[in-house]
Amino acid sequence: MSRTLLAGLAGIAILAACSDIVSPVRNARYDWRLIVAYDSAGPRLDTLSFHWPRNSVPVKLWVEDASDLKARAREGIALWKDAFLYGEWDARLVDDSTSADVIIRLLQPPPLPAGAIRMAASVEPCFGATDVDTGATRFEIVLPVRSYVFPSLPNDPGLEDCMRHVTSHEIGHTMGLFQHSPDSLDLMYGVPAVDFLSERDVGTAENAYHFTPDMVPVRP
Amino acid sequence: MRISSCCLLSLALLAPAALPAQVRYSASLGVLGGTPLAHDQLFQEIEVQQDLAPTVTLGVSFPVSKREFLGLEAALGFGGVTTVEPGYPDVEGPSFTTLSLTGSVDGPVIGPLRYRVGAGLLKYLPEEAGIFAEGGPLLLVLTAGTDVRLVTRGSFTLMARIRYDYQRFTTDQLQFSGFSRTQDVHRLGFGLGVDYSRP
Repeated sequence: MSRTLLAGLAGIAILAACSDIVSPVRNARYDWRLIVAYDSAGPRLDTLSFHWPRNSVPVKLWVEDASDLKARAREGIALWKDAFLYGEWDARLVDDSTSADVIIRLLQPPPLPAGAIRMAASVEPCFGATDVDTGATRFEIVLPVRSYVFPSLPNDPGLEDCMRHVTSHEIGHTMGLFQHSPDSLDLMYGVPAVDFLSERDVGTAENAYHFTPDMVPVRP
Repeated sequence: MRISSCCLLSLALLAPAALPAQVRYSASLGVLGGTPLAHDQLFQEIEVQQDLAPTVTLGVSFPVSKREFLGLEAALGFGGVTTVEPGYPDVEGPSFTTLSLTGSVDGPVIGPLRYRVGAGLLKYLPEEAGIFAEGGPLLLVLTAGTDVRLVTRGSFTLMARIRYDYQRFTTDQLQFSGFSRTQDVHRLGFGLGVDYSRP
């Protein structure tokens, strides 16, 4: 029977010839970084990256309990969570807005606060916006990040789909995808019309979460 | 999987009739650890390391000669991974569950020591998200190890087990995400178990 043992070990040795998994090249992406004007004396721009630190995950989202917005937010979280292989980003809904990292309201976006940058998605019959305040220095993100989703045509038959697209799109902004995609097939296109992530959306999210961030979240 | 089921059925029906010696049933609990499951490259190297996985194993074996037994083992493992990336803290998760079915031959080496070699199939079951989100394909797993009989009381024997296994790892989600080829994964496990011998 020692022959059986040797045969088994030999089989293992043959099959154990070196083999390593090969990762894909993730160059299907668009630029996600925030472009910040940082010197009022002249037109000087900085391109900055942000992603939530690993110790902030899952990100705490407070979502206004109105017009199925919470359900839409859960769908958006699930959608984006699936973009990641290693749990780089996740979010959960919280009841207390005071401790939230992100606040999503069913509200027409108010006037932009001084120093904040707005990313707006305009789609009929609803629209959305996310405001990012880069704080006293451009290397901070002041918490909470605020997003707005608003039905502009409340009785439109396409409102539910629109709310789904726009809520997921705004969650994408809150993750750190601070630019719009130039491709209409991406969820992060400026006029989102899909409720799934394209290969470019996934590639961009993955790149953003492994690119060294320039900004850190701060709570005033 | 159909082949494995057929083997199990054949063993159950034929082996006891063919040899009236002892049929052994075993149950063991152990931990398995191993080499990294995957490597990725996104601006820097990412390594997916596997954590120690508690594993429950149930087995049955039948004598095929005066010294050797032919056995079948089903094992359920509960593990997790840690993602290691330069410049970032290590991140735990996602978790995974494995189910394996292996056939093996075991026989005496010396004293209370027995060898075991085998092969079987292993599957990573679907999880909520991450690289195990869609589970994995059926992977061939090769095993080798030793069992040490520690104490015998009547029909029961306390066993210490050392197991090595080899697989070529991938998951459906990794393949869907564009990963190609497979990763050599070597695992080593230790466990304690009880054998029950039925005359």
